[in-house]
Amino acid sequence: MKEISRSIKKKDHDNKIEGRSVYVDDYPLTASGKRILCGKLIHAAYAKARVLSVTLPPLPEGYTYVDRNDVPGDNNVNIVLDDTPVFCRETVEYIGEPIGMLVGPEEAVVDELLAGVKVEYDQIEPMLDLRNGTEAFFDYHFGHGDVDRAFAEADKVYEEEFLTGYQDQTYLEPQGMMAEPEEDGRMFVHGSLQCPYYVHGAVARALGTGPEGVHILQDVTGGGFGGKEDFPSILGCQVAVAAHKTGQPVRCVYNRREDLEFTPKRHPSLCRYKLAVKDGRVTALEADVRFDAGAYSTLSAVVLQRGIIAAPGIYHIPNVRVTGKAIKTNTVPCGAYRGFGAPQTFFAIEMMMNHVAQDLGVDSITFKQQHFAKQGDMTSTQGRYHFPVPIPAMLDEVDALCALRRKHQAYSLPQTGRFRRGIGFSAIFHGAGFTGSGERDIIKATAKLRKYADGTVEVLASNGDIGQGVRTTFPKIVSHELNLPLEKVRYEHPDTARVPDSGPTVASRSLMTVGELLRRAAIRLRDIWQDGVEQEVEEHYKEPDFVIPFYLDRFEGDAYPTYAWSVSAVEVEVDTYTGRVQILGAYGSFDVGTPVDENIVLGQMEGGFLQGLGYASIEKMQYDEKGRIRNNSFTDYLVPTAMDVPKLIARLHVEEYPDGPYGAKGAGELPLVGPPPAYLEAVEMALGGMKRHRLNRIPYSAEDVILELNKEVP
Amino acid sequence: MVNGYKPGSLQEALDIRSRTDAIPYAGGTDLMVRNQKGAVYLFLNDIEALKQITDDGDMIRIGAAVTFTRALENDLVPPLMKEALSQIAAPAIRNAGTFGGNLGNASDKADSVLAALALDGRVRLASAGGERTVRIEDFFVKRGETILRDDELIVEVLLPKSRCSLPFYYQKLGGRNALAISRVAFAGVYDVQDGVIRSISVAVIGEGKFTRYREAEAALIGRTAEEVKENAAACADSFIRNMTFTRGRVSAEYRRTVVRNLLTDYLTSLG
Ligand SMILES: Cc1cc2nc3c(=O)[nH]c(=O)nc-3n(C[C@H](O)[C@H](O)[C@H](O)COP(=O)(O)OP(=O)(O)OC[C@H]3O[C@@H](n4cnc5c(N)ncnc54)[C@H](O)[C@@H]3O)c2cc1C
Repeated sequence: MKEISRSIKKKDHDNKIEGRSVYVDDYPLTASGKRILCGKLIHAAYAKARVLSVTLPPLPEGYTYVDRNDVPGDNNVNIVLDDTPVFCRETVEYIGEPIGMLVGPEEAVVDELLAGVKVEYDQIEPMLDLRNGTEAFFDYHFGHGDVDRAFAEADKVYEEEFLTGYQDQTYLEPQGMMAEPEEDGRMFVHGSLQCPYYVHGAVARALGTGPEGVHILQDVTGGGFGGKEDFPSILGCQVAVAAHKTGQPVRCVYNRREDLEFTPKRHPSLCRYKLAVKDGRVTALEADVRFDAGAYSTLSAVVLQRGIIAAPGIYHIPNVRVTGKAIKTNTVPCGAYRGFGAPQTFFAIEMMMNHVAQDLGVDSITFKQQHFAKQGDMTSTQGRYHFPVPIPAMLDEVDALCALRRKHQAYSLPQTGRFRRGIGFSAIFHGAGFTGSGERDIIKATAKLRKYADGTVEVLASNGDIGQGVRTTFPKIVSHELNLPLEKVRYEHPDTARVPDSGPTVASRSLMTVGELLRRAAIRLRDIWQDGVEQEVEEHYKEPDFVIPFYLDRFEGDAYPTYAWSVSAVEVEVDTYTGRVQILGAYGSFDVGTPVDENIVLGQMEGGFLQGLGYASIEKMQYDEKGRIRNNSFTDYLVPTAMDVPKLIARLHVEEYPDGPYGAKGAGELPLVGPPPAYLEAVEMALGGMKRHRLNRIPYSAEDVILELNKEVP
Repeated sequence: MVNGYKPGSLQEALDIRSRTDAIPYAGGTDLMVRNQKGAVYLFLNDIEALKQITDDGDMIRIGAAVTFTRALENDLVPPLMKEALSQIAAPAIRNAGTFGGNLGNASDKADSVLAALALDGRVRLASAGGERTVRIEDFFVKRGETILRDDELIVEVLLPKSRCSLPFYYQKLGGRNALAISRVAFAGVYDVQDGVIRSISVAVIGEGKFTRYREAEAALIGRTAEEVKENAAACADSFIRNMTFTRGRVSAEYRRTVVRNLLTDYLTSLG
């Protein structure tokens, strides 16, 4: 193990453990002692309707109503496209869409007023069907080879559909933002968020001030998982508009029900896969991927891109044709969640490969292994796997942990009795960093180090600590290069008034990309270090030379410079009387490059693995025929508890990335992606394999097991 | 601000109950979730008489304000009840939740109530004017409704000792391993001597009510365990015929199938 990998105590550990961290909801007053007004949103009651009128109860003095007419700048929130309104336009497009905000000093009074608001609607038939939806925000096509010919020449052609559901991030504290008008005329917005500069751009535009007119601070954030990537821009604009109108600080914190029902989640998906097989090898793939985007496009473009690029999984398939659509429905806009579109398509390809193998009468491990991509092979977008693909070795490691191959064959034999076993596995990648040329063309990250006269060093970057530990790992890198004790290097919560734009906290890019900028900056600072004076060094992102330029219009080139890899295995025992699935063991080998702190990385691997198991089994969320999400409490939306953590062994396999700090790649998203197909393969095997029960959707609950068994001909 | 009364004795509590609309409050694990604005509470946790677990020779008597954690630590509490309690929610809820609250909440998914039902339990109610003791199944009317009157309090749960040490069968199915409301639960107690069934009970969560299937149970008494085992499916059917399952977080078909499977397993495992 490298020195840098040695685990240290996280910088925010004590404050978090002792309950001293201050979250946005905790401020009794603003820092300057001002009273904070409470803002609450009026949410649309229908999935699609024209809003005819909003009638307010008489407002006591000090209470204000805010809506789109109060937006001084542009009523469109800047995300990827700008179609999401700050406050609704003439129509509402999903249940929960913010119509306006009531603001005032006393929360109880605001609640009472809210109950007295009457909204008159003219209802319109909503569109709620992912399968038949025709309006696509994004419609991508790409591929290579001669797909038609491969299908024409195939020995056998397989077609199947795969479905995945919503998943909610269920971060520690719900969404919450606060805006404070400042003496100098600037608007100060802060809260629970991942990407300060995203919020910065959005708020400046809504207020019409230009970038100098606002600044954004990340408060302590107890987890984002992607859920705080786009939404804080929307809520940030709303509180900023309210603060602008009232001239006073305004805070809006969602309660958990609002949060579960009305904030972004993972896109439900419907994938139709078609595979051609000739001489026992997959020769072509046609994938038709549909994501349920919800009512506005928010992050769907980028989520869908990452999803469809992963459509063929880690397999080398010579002929590929992929279609990806983000379908508009009148439901809550979906956004980012750890994995960002890839869990959906990896689920599809992994299950598809299992099913084809079974039909061909080969063990799926062997079958998949015959198709693993290798270093130098072409990627789905005609880029290259520039670095070694360590999957075969990782598979052996997992095999050593749980006798994967032996059990995989043993449990495939017919089983009788109440309890039946299965073991499943999956092999996946996570494209490290931003998709395509975004890093080079859009983000253009800058990071700085400022050395003070007293010899302490401050990291200036815009990446938020959301539990993944960047407040610790950034200083760790810098102190390592400068040979300083860790206490002398600090990284505060970023405020856009003080830090350069080093990009958003997404895509597992912070450590790999920004961490490397900081490492280089530290080396330069070391070279010019002078005692007793203040010094500053700045580093800018530069795309590595080996990268094949990516063209988004054609989906051609290196979508990612490198990849993190994982092999996951899940062993289950199914109770055929009750449908209960007990996880006997969960095993993973993860290659995230060099861990810049082993404990942090293992924590990420275990946590992500568990989220993946929840996604595959118990995390069920649906909307009804009116478009309303009913699972809006923790009684109805179940996530794994401590008692649901199985025996879980995570191992690290290090394949160093020369352009990441000390060889590090992205670690955040990887662990969630592999477990769902491994879990479902295990359950399917326990039920007798695809010849008897072909499973193709998650979440797959105990009830699903029983209903599936009921289908069995006695 | 929470308003309320904090009586030190049962008499005082019954007095307040007869005079006011104060809501009885034991562990508050249901009431806190309801979080009714402006409610006035009658706090029961200072009343020693409601916190006892005793053995009167015929009955194990569990006070209404006994918490699940206390009951789990007590040797008098029968194993079936402990099995059910140990799977309720999580330690924090078990530390506060009580038997009286589980009954008073009038949920059709109350796990301690199911165990008491299978054990032929009763519940003793008292008011300033008197008291009555009723069978568990008669206490519960339907989801959200019991026979408890506005002036009454639940005083204790009574479990006949003759049932308490009998072999039992219990299975709870929630949506996950902890903090999960029963989607289906099954409890049964049986007495088989010399291969002959002397008594048997069946109780389930999943019907939206708490009831016993007296006729189907009676039909098994006097038969040999062996005979029942051989006809387990048909015997299970004699129960299932009288059951109507609700749908909600899971389908009625799921509930029916699981109860049928567990019943069959139960009837196969007697003796
Ligand atoms: C997260 C969570 C998980 C849960 N999981 C489970 C579970 O797995 N299984 C389960 O069965 N329950 C579960 N519950 C429900 C709850 O914990 C139980 O119903 C518990 O027994 C309630 O007891 P309490 O003392 O807290 O009741 P309280 O909240 O104090 O009262 C509940 C009701 O009973 C009435 N009441 C209380 N005592 C008396 C009395 N002596 N006389 C008359 N009326 C009375 C109250 O007025 C109120 O209507 C869960 C609750 C939560 C919050």
